Amino acid sequence: MKRLKETFANDTWVMPYLRKYKGLLILVLFLGFMTFFSGGALMFNSGYLISEAARQPSSIIYIYVPVVLARAFGIARPSFRYVERLTSHNWVLKIVSDFRKKLYESVEKKASAIQRSHQTGDILSILADDIEHIENLYLRTVFPMVIGWLLYLFIVIGVGSLNWVVGLLMLLLLGVIVIILPLASVATNGVREYQQHQIQHQFYTNLTDEVLGLGDWLISGRYHDFINLQKKPIKEIAQLRRKDHYYQWWRSFLVQFMVLLTTITLLVWAANSFTATKSLANWVAAFALAIFPAVSPFLNISQGASEWPVYRRSIERVNQLDKDNVTPTKQVALKASFKQLDIDNVTFKYPDGDRDIVKNISMTIHPGEKVALLGPSGTGKSTFLKLLVGDLIPNTGKIEINGQSVAALQNVRSSLYGILDQQPYLFDTTVMNNVRLGNVNATDEEIKQAIAAVGLKDLIESLPDQYDTEVQEAGKRFSGGERQRLSLARILLQDAPIIILDEPTVSLDPITEKKLLDRVFALLQDKTIIWVTHHLAGINHVDQVRFMENGRFDMQGSPQELYKQEPRFRQLYDLDRGR
Amino acid sequence: MQVWGSVTLIDKRLFDLPGMRRYVMILGVLVFIQAVAIIVQARYLSIAIVNLWHLQPISSIVVPTCIFAVAFLCRHLLTVWQNRVLFPFVEKTSGDMRESLMAKIFRLGPAEIDKRGTGNIVTMALEGIDQVQTYLMLVIIKMLDMSITPWLILIYILFIRWEQAIFLFIIFPVIILFMVILGLAAQSKADRQYEGYQHLSNHFVDTLRGLSTLKQLGLSKRYANNVYSVSESYRKETMSTLRIALTSTFALDFFTTLSIAVVAVFLGFDLMDGKVMLLPALTILVLAPEYFLPIRNFANDYHATLNGKNAMTAVLDVLNQPEMKQREELPDFKWDQDSKLELDHVNYTYPEVKRPALNDISVTIKGMKKIGIIGASGSGKSTLINLIGGFLSPDKANQVAINGQRLPHLDQAAWQQNFLYIPQNPYLFHATLADNISFYVNDATDQSIKDAAERAGLTRWIKSLPDGLETMIGEGARTVSGGQAQRIALARAFLDTDRKVLLFDEPTAHLDIETEAALKKDILPVFNDHLVFFATHRLHWIGEMDYVLVMDHGRLVEQGTPDELAAKNGDYVKLRSEMEASDL
Repeated sequence: MKRLKETFANDTWVMPYLRKYKGLLILVLFLGFMTFFSGGALMFNSGYLISEAARQPSSIIYIYVPVVLARAFGIARPSFRYVERLTSHNWVLKIVSDFRKKLYESVEKKASAIQRSHQTGDILSILADDIEHIENLYLRTVFPMVIGWLLYLFIVIGVGSLNWVVGLLMLLLLGVIVIILPLASVATNGVREYQQHQIQHQFYTNLTDEVLGLGDWLISGRYHDFINLQKKPIKEIAQLRRKDHYYQWWRSFLVQFMVLLTTITLLVWAANSFTATKSLANWVAAFALAIFPAVSPFLNISQGASEWPVYRRSIERVNQLDKDNVTPTKQVALKASFKQLDIDNVTFKYPDGDRDIVKNISMTIHPGEKVALLGPSGTGKSTFLKLLVGDLIPNTGKIEINGQSVAALQNVRSSLYGILDQQPYLFDTTVMNNVRLGNVNATDEEIKQAIAAVGLKDLIESLPDQYDTEVQEAGKRFSGGERQRLSLARILLQDAPIIILDEPTVSLDPITEKKLLDRVFALLQDKTIIWVTHHLAGINHVDQVRFMENGRFDMQGSPQELYKQEPRFRQLYDLDRGR
Repeated sequence: MQVWGSVTLIDKRLFDLPGMRRYVMILGVLVFIQAVAIIVQARYLSIAIVNLWHLQPISSIVVPTCIFAVAFLCRHLLTVWQNRVLFPFVEKTSGDMRESLMAKIFRLGPAEIDKRGTGNIVTMALEGIDQVQTYLMLVIIKMLDMSITPWLILIYILFIRWEQAIFLFIIFPVIILFMVILGLAAQSKADRQYEGYQHLSNHFVDTLRGLSTLKQLGLSKRYANNVYSVSESYRKETMSTLRIALTSTFALDFFTTLSIAVVAVFLGFDLMDGKVMLLPALTILVLAPEYFLPIRNFANDYHATLNGKNAMTAVLDVLNQPEMKQREELPDFKWDQDSKLELDHVNYTYPEVKRPALNDISVTIKGMKKIGIIGASGSGKSTLINLIGGFLSPDKANQVAINGQRLPHLDQAAWQQNFLYIPQNPYLFHATLADNISFYVNDATDQSIKDAAERAGLTRWIKSLPDGLETMIGEGARTVSGGQAQRIALARAFLDTDRKVLLFDEPTAHLDIETEAALKKDILPVFNDHLVFFATHRLHWIGEMDYVLVMDHGRLVEQGTPDELAAKNGDYVKLRSEMEASDL
């Protein structure tokens, strides 16, 4: 219970939506209740019907009402069920739409324009799964449980109004099924779930590790080690599953046992109270037959409840997303066109980091300048870029455009910076739509011009669907170099004064790389370019090279100067060109 | 859909599982006894009710109620019993399957696994096998239940009152017929919509993955509404399909429920006419829902069953995947000065591709040499390295030879004991640094690991780590930069003095030039006394090579020493000039 409270203490994901779609929710619950009510009523009515008929009444009038009711309930049950299913799915899918938007907005707030790997993609898939879990929480746990409870109350009150002792017995016996056992299941599963999660996680990571390193395993010839490594978790998983199954079987049996006790209670009650007159005795069969369909919704409540720990993890994870939001800076528009980018004595440390990633960096960039930034991985190049665009805020120092802080220019950022990175993303839509993302107001003609400028006109027009060609998932229809060029077309349309090139050629071969760089610098010759690169190919395109080492600039100057004056640079350059 | 599915829900290979037939026999008997219990239970409940209906005292129902209770408990105990009988079999089958899958992964090798996707294989081994377990538990018992229980009940009803039995008998195929018709209609519509569906549901993940790009373009905020509207249209699509898909469930529900109502009404009329007594009528009414219960249960578990069946099909498909055979053709040997590797007009074509990735490659390598492989991307450098490593098998057998022995392919255990493979991103296991370095050497001493790390230039970095060589690295632990990863791979080579062949596949392609320059100094010593294959497009390495293979569009267009090739003024010279930067 305490955990339950904790889970929902700062909940912004489950409760608000229950409130938002209250009307539909009540409808779902009503329909669910009516489904089972009709099922029970059908048997109740049928029991009465044949009991009355067996008295061979003088006229058919006596059984006329039950005959009509039998047909009515017979049709009502499946109909209610059908509508209930549709309504509940509709309800859940409505919520999913809201969830997706909400998840997107939460993630969007924290996302950075500078990215170095697709690893985040996996985290996002997990979050997408979480949403599906919450979807199931409603369909498999919440709805059946609430409907079960409604029916439980109905039975207890209904029977209790005839005889309060029997009502009390129903309250207790059925209470075991709908309250005690689900709670017990949550408790047992809560413990087991944790253990299970650990073992599965271990198996999962071990196996991923093994499969990714399969080449090494194979060459090393360590077949038996490979197999033995998984034996233990496989066995543990089997054991857990066994326990889980045994628990479920015996729990179902216990539920049935309670049903039996309920049935016997009703029989005894009937024997004592309904055998006074013949017309009263007709109700015996009614009650006895109604019990089985009436309790059928109770049978799966425990199973639904035992899935709760899985859902709880998902709920906690998505709720976590909303925490530690930064207070927004007041946003302004840029006055006049870009004149100067000042980086003034900037130092930055991550909140959970132990050292400064960027240390006292200063530089000034004017329109049209081209700067290359080099350095081994981990020296703070991408952190520097994140600071530059305003995804991170410096601990000390200032980053300003025309004297205005970058942090206050976030709303107009896309009119200031264009970014081409290692893996620019192409969305699963047409070429035309993808390029149009650079400027949503661009005409088809402008888009075609941009594509022609990056040299893809012939290729695209040779495709059967031309500009309407689908790029497929993550743009895999096109090669790495082609994807970069499509993104470049996007940047041309975006027409921002400052272009950030974040190692755009790292996964390209030297010939493609050279062609791409020549094209980039030719097309963007009027722009200011800040280019993070891992080697010196194409370095002749820039005015200034800066080497970054442990968060600081060390070697700097024009490539020509550096080549003449710095032996280290000369050596690297010669190495890079294959000497 | 459900019942139509029930025909297809049985994978024929199910009955080939060892011990299956015996279990089906035992369970058949248990299900039969259970069906008898159901009839007894219904009969004695009815007797108790009828006694009360006759206004008899409570003592008259003690015996029938007790028999009812015993039968009822028997019935549910039998359910537990059936599960317990079956479970060890299911557990063993799925456990064996999991282990065979592991063994299969090992034997299929990285190229095949890559094609299927690491994520897919791992999910299959965990969730897939779980689903198979659920499937086996469900499908066997439910099928037996469906093929025994209703018919036993029907026979019993036939003896009480044949008219009702006939009605119930006829309604059964009618239900199935309607479900099949409606199910098929829904299926074809669902199939048509499926593609659109996938598109819509992938859209969300697609958007999340492209978030950085959206942010760069200043569109990320605006996209939130797009996410919502796409999701809403997904909902509408789904609902329109669901409306049809649920009709077959509705048909089942409708006919079974209405049949019970009809039985009740007819019995009512017959009772009024005195054609039947209350006890038989009541027994039939109690048994009618039980008659339909097995098919309803089957329909309820349809999705779990279908998922399980698909999972099992997928697992069995992987297990039946042909693997490289004849892996032990080559006797144990050590690569030395006199050893010889020959490729004789080798072709290699990737599956489902027409043009060969390697076309007519002939080359002979003898002893310890340093061989550079260069070419533009897509020229076949990596494919050649993979073929030499035995991860890919040539189109035709007997085109490769080691020490004069013709082999079907190079996936030979004895050959693999002789080389180390160092790709662009060497894989680092989630283990200590020391374990990673000594992965290939069983009995490495701490000192030898330390020495290897020293020679690979790792010492300074190791000193900066909290636990030195015992620091955990790999996925989920300390991240290791690309340069350090190469050095760890290098340390493996220094440590393992038995392996005399080194296969490098663009080891420095993604490294920055400074790191590469530093790494080069440490790599060069390991080249001595080794046969080295070095695929690269960083030209400065060529100066260190004895022999160069120039690849172009899958062909080996030139081979020779760097000087010979430079003098030739052919493809090698052309490639160099295309790649090389100008003077500053």
